[in-house]
Amino acid sequence: MRKQKHQKSLILAILIILGIAGDGFGQNSILQNTHIRGFMEVDAAYHDKKMTFGFGEQDLFITSQLNDRFSFLGEAVFKYVPASPTEFGVSIERAIVKYNYSGNNNLLLGKQHTPINFWNDTYHHGRVFYPTIERPLLFPANFIPLHTTGVAAEGHDLGNIRFGYNLLIGNGLGSSDVANNDERVSVTAAVHIKPVENLKLGVSYYNDVISANATVNDRIIPVQVHQQLFTGSISYFGKKFELLTEGTLALDKTDSTGTQHDWASYLYAGYRVTDKFVPYIRLDNLQYGSGEVYYIKNNTRSYIVGMRYYVDYLLVLKLEYQNLHTEIQGQTFAVTFQIAVGF
Amino acid sequence: MRIRAIIYDHLVKYFFIGILLTSCCLSSRAQDNNLVAIGNQIGVPSEIKMSELKAVFHGERQRWGNGTKVIIAMIKTTTPLGNEISEKIYSKNGEEVRGFWAGIMFAGKFDAPNVFNTEAEVETFVSQNPGAIAIIDKVVTTADIKTILVGGKKTF
Repeated sequence: MRKQKHQKSLILAILIILGIAGDGFGQNSILQNTHIRGFMEVDAAYHDKKMTFGFGEQDLFITSQLNDRFSFLGEAVFKYVPASPTEFGVSIERAIVKYNYSGNNNLLLGKQHTPINFWNDTYHHGRVFYPTIERPLLFPANFIPLHTTGVAAEGHDLGNIRFGYNLLIGNGLGSSDVANNDERVSVTAAVHIKPVENLKLGVSYYNDVISANATVNDRIIPVQVHQQLFTGSISYFGKKFELLTEGTLALDKTDSTGTQHDWASYLYAGYRVTDKFVPYIRLDNLQYGSGEVYYIKNNTRSYIVGMRYYVDYLLVLKLEYQNLHTEIQGQTFAVTFQIAVGF
Repeated sequence: MRIRAIIYDHLVKYFFIGILLTSCCLSSRAQDNNLVAIGNQIGVPSEIKMSELKAVFHGERQRWGNGTKVIIAMIKTTTPLGNEISEKIYSKNGEEVRGFWAGIMFAGKFDAPNVFNTEAEVETFVSQNPGAIAIIDKVVTTADIKTILVGGKKTF
């Protein structure tokens, strides 16, 4: 009898302890809401009469809701850097603290993708989201500033036409990620509207003065350059048809060469044959003024014919044929296959 | 007399066939309008237009009118209800909706929705989070949850 009473007390005690512990184990984390995702791609290509295999940046993407108004976004990539002792380097691509101060209006501080065009503001480094294998040619040509460290005021989906804006003031070209190299700042002003579903129309203006002897994209710019960039964008990603076209006019003014006019544009068009299969084309065109000193003058024309297959929304296969003509290298072609993943 | 009986039999037969067909249509119409928007009692409006509901579920609203943060809760898009919500709200299938949200989140535009396996979990989350909104398939009204009228109606 005494033994039975003891056993009952023991069982009751165990149940009470499990109940308290279970409540603790079953709770959601008391820490803030943080997510880590990754993106990467591997590819195989045939060009210059050789078969080659490679892989792209491994992108770590972190978001965290710090509290009701503040959030953090960080993006770091690990990539092949031939000059590095290990042949690989790490780069902080985005590091942004965002403050949602009212409705759909935010302040952002940190290193951001310059909101100069649709592609740069939408796709960043996640190639699984790219409509094509690689970015349009104006990107590797460094036609536009990819990143700016600064402060931005942005808003989105305002009113019936879903107006959006972004005003970014930051370190200019030639600066490091953590300090401005001169007394001037760069200014990016962008606006867009989404008048109907899936359609976005945008324009932007970029203004910066690059100091003489500043190093930009591993090149020393010998003279001071006042750069203005005017960009227009049209994007439509519907159930069947996809269209993305952007053009940037660069006005680069120096005391010695006057104002050079340079033009970069691309047009992407795709047709969603099924939910998973999208054939597409892309045309690229880069034209430079004859006296251009800031850009490497290399007039370029290219067309791409490709297809995209969604195994899953974060596992995309792409196959492309590209015909490329540049002023410096002449005519080349390449066939490339890519597997882009998110995880 | 016999002819009258035959005609009467046919009329009765077709009458009941008509009743059956009509009831099928009525019940499928009821199924077409079986989604319900629910929200936490704090912050979420009691009535909303369909266009506004879609805007919310596309990440186009960060705050409700009183400043409460918009928090989206969804049942997994791989469930039948999740797939129905995907088609009706996003005009996409479940996988496309996941891709849509992955792109939005990666661009830093909006937080990804909170996703759950069951409606009960969705309701619990909504009840515990001011500003939370979700779509399920039944009307719920408690001290913490309200059923939101969409275009003046409880179901859509």
